Amino acid sequence: MCRTHATVRSLLKELVAGSRRLTVTDMEAGLEHFSRGTTRHADAMLVVVEPYYKSLETAARIDALAKELGVQNVYAVANKVRDSVDEKAVKEFCERREMTLISVVPYDEAIIEADRAGRAPMDNNPASPSVAEVMRLGERLLRV
Amino acid sequence: MKIAVSGKGGSGKTTIAGTLARALARMGQPVLAVDGDSNPNLAITLGIPKEEAQRIEPVPSSILQEVVDAAGNKALMLALPPEEIAEKYGVKTGDGVTLLVMGRVDHAGAG
Repeated sequence: MCRTHATVRSLLKELVAGSRRLTVTDMEAGLEHFSRGTTRHADAMLVVVEPYYKSLETAARIDALAKELGVQNVYAVANKVRDSVDEKAVKEFCERREMTLISVVPYDEAIIEADRAGRAPMDNNPASPSVAEVMRLGERLLRV
Repeated sequence: MKIAVSGKGGSGKTTIAGTLARALARMGQPVLAVDGDSNPNLAITLGIPKEEAQRIEPVPSSILQEVVDAAGNKALMLALPPEEIAEKYGVKTGDGVTLLVMGRVDHAGAG
């Protein structure tokens, strides 16, 4: 059996479109795969971004492309934010590029510890700052 | 609601996607997590042990069938309803989240 990018993407699209559940899709990294087909069924697109230049620039390109393809709600999620300098940099960048920042997830050793233990952050340390912020992100998304 | 999580490789995209799926399930939502990046880390982030995560079978591409309508137009359709596919090929993970893995692209035949 040969799987091409096209079949895998068609499969993903049909499964997400037809599901009655809330779906969370971990998309391919980067933006080469973005097309009307793969993004049409997204009610919300999260663009995860780290507070450094290359990551911010990639996020801005993904954001612009998703909007161009008609995704209704495109949100930046800042991740691994270490301090107020990081936070300010992300906030200013998002403002300048007209990106909506929905969540600032702090840099968190608990994520590295969970990874080392081969466990889910939600099981390893559900009260850690990053997991707590992702819970708040979920609440915000349900209100959209 | 259909949520798509994108980002540069290494941004923590998969960790956010998995943790968000678990968070939404804890809030009472029926959640289907979809791995479109053939990344066993999504399963781990959802609470599946590593050895098990590496053994998860992807949804077979053969579930997608080509149909031709009366006008002769070809289209791809699922051979089973999406909910049945989730039941049959889905993996139950933490907080009741069901995971579907899309599988790797076979590069020998990739187009």
